[in-house]
Amino acid sequence: MIKFDRVFKKYPGEMDALQDISLEILSGELVFVTGPSGAGKSTLLKLISAVEKPTNGSIIFENTNLSELRNKDMPFLRRKFGMIFQDHKLLYDRNCFENVVLPLEINDINPADSARRVRAALNKVGLLNKEKMNPITLSGGEQQRLAIARAIVSRPLILIADEPTGNLDKSYADEIMNIFYSFQQVGVTVIISCHELPQSPIKFKQIHLIKGQISNSDKHVPLLS
Amino acid sequence: MMFIIIGITLCLPSAGYLIVENVRQISTKIQHEAEISIFLKKDISQDQIDFIDSALRSSSEIKKIHFEPKLTAWEKLQSKLKLSTLDIGISENPLPDGFFITLNTLSNTKIKKLTEDLKLISGVDNIVVDGSWIKKLRAIIYMVKIGLFSLGTLLVIVLIVIISNTIRLQTLTYQNEILVSKLIGATNSFIHRPFIYTGLIYGLGGGIITVGTLKSIVFTFNNMAEKYEYILGNSITLVGLSAVNYTIIVLLAMTIGLFSSFFAARQSIKKLEKSY
Repeated sequence: MIKFDRVFKKYPGEMDALQDISLEILSGELVFVTGPSGAGKSTLLKLISAVEKPTNGSIIFENTNLSELRNKDMPFLRRKFGMIFQDHKLLYDRNCFENVVLPLEINDINPADSARRVRAALNKVGLLNKEKMNPITLSGGEQQRLAIARAIVSRPLILIADEPTGNLDKSYADEIMNIFYSFQQVGVTVIISCHELPQSPIKFKQIHLIKGQISNSDKHVPLLS
Repeated sequence: MMFIIIGITLCLPSAGYLIVENVRQISTKIQHEAEISIFLKKDISQDQIDFIDSALRSSSEIKKIHFEPKLTAWEKLQSKLKLSTLDIGISENPLPDGFFITLNTLSNTKIKKLTEDLKLISGVDNIVVDGSWIKKLRAIIYMVKIGLFSLGTLLVIVLIVIISNTIRLQTLTYQNEILVSKLIGATNSFIHRPFIYTGLIYGLGGGIITVGTLKSIVFTFNNMAEKYEYILGNSITLVGLSAVNYTIIVLLAMTIGLFSSFFAARQSIKKLEKSY
């Protein structure tokens, strides 16, 4: 599904954020991208989701080379991903329903269908009874669940979560991780970045990064060499 | 607030144009052609008059020739003033014979050349050129129009800056929304759309205010002119701009709003994209 081949990423005036990354993520996999702060986890996720382009190397997503993708085609590619961020990136001048409906407005889905899909997504994350509330009134865990609802409402092929439990206590974090596992179980590819590997009840792949390079000796985590 | 700023800014050159158009129309109504009056010497013979007549007819610059004998002129004057020769104490006709010619040109150079040529003809006493002031007035109107066009251009630039800054501030207000939308797959046109609509609405509102203000100016002026007609002794009417001109003003305002907002939003969003 996604294949990195000798990918480098360098930001102007800085050291290489990623160096010589080669890996492959298959459809329906659960992938944890782990590593300390500054290891390049967020950069890797930005490259996967086409928010950034690599400095060198190629990233192939479903036969499309993301390095050669034209800027005007980027938004259409991004619609295939569901993005979840550590700081949620919710809009606090909109209620929960309006936050979740945003990707459907972008996809130009008709209002009746949108309303049905938004309620289904809110139901999935257990926030159906809070659709009219402003996200600012929700707890940290609820806000992250709302962000997940927004990510899944457009039925993405891949869910990408950048440290989704970073700001949450353990009980909320487990709750969020269980939601991700449930999506993986129905065939969605889930890529999650985190400092430490969580305890997962299901099979997963780990990509461990240190200083922009893959440092992974786990034999149960096959990577493209 | 933005409607009023756009409305008043566009009103300045538009009101100037309205006044210039009115003056131009009046000047067109007053006289279209230059005229020259040629007064002949008192002791001129009929042969000389015939010679001058044939000389005038041979000129390509002359459109129409009218000869007024001194006797006819004298009779006309007396009848106009309703006086007899005794009343004014003149026993003899003081008026000369005259040719009144209409020219087919308004060119100052040609008129000057023709006047000089006519002065050389024997029997011509005096030449009076009428209508040159119209030409001067038209030249002034033309210069004022250029001035108004320059002022209008400057004010359009001012409007573009004002609208652009307002839209830029709005993009900053909606910064989070723009960034999130970009991350989840919004195209540039989707993000630009609300700002472009805002610019268009600013233009439409401002344009309507301009048209409304101009119509009020015309209405108020005409009302006042009617009130003071007995003092002025003449009715002065300000004619409003045509429906086409009013439509052009509104469309121009909308175009300014559209382009300013589009470029401001594009530039601002490009900057925001760097802060992903």
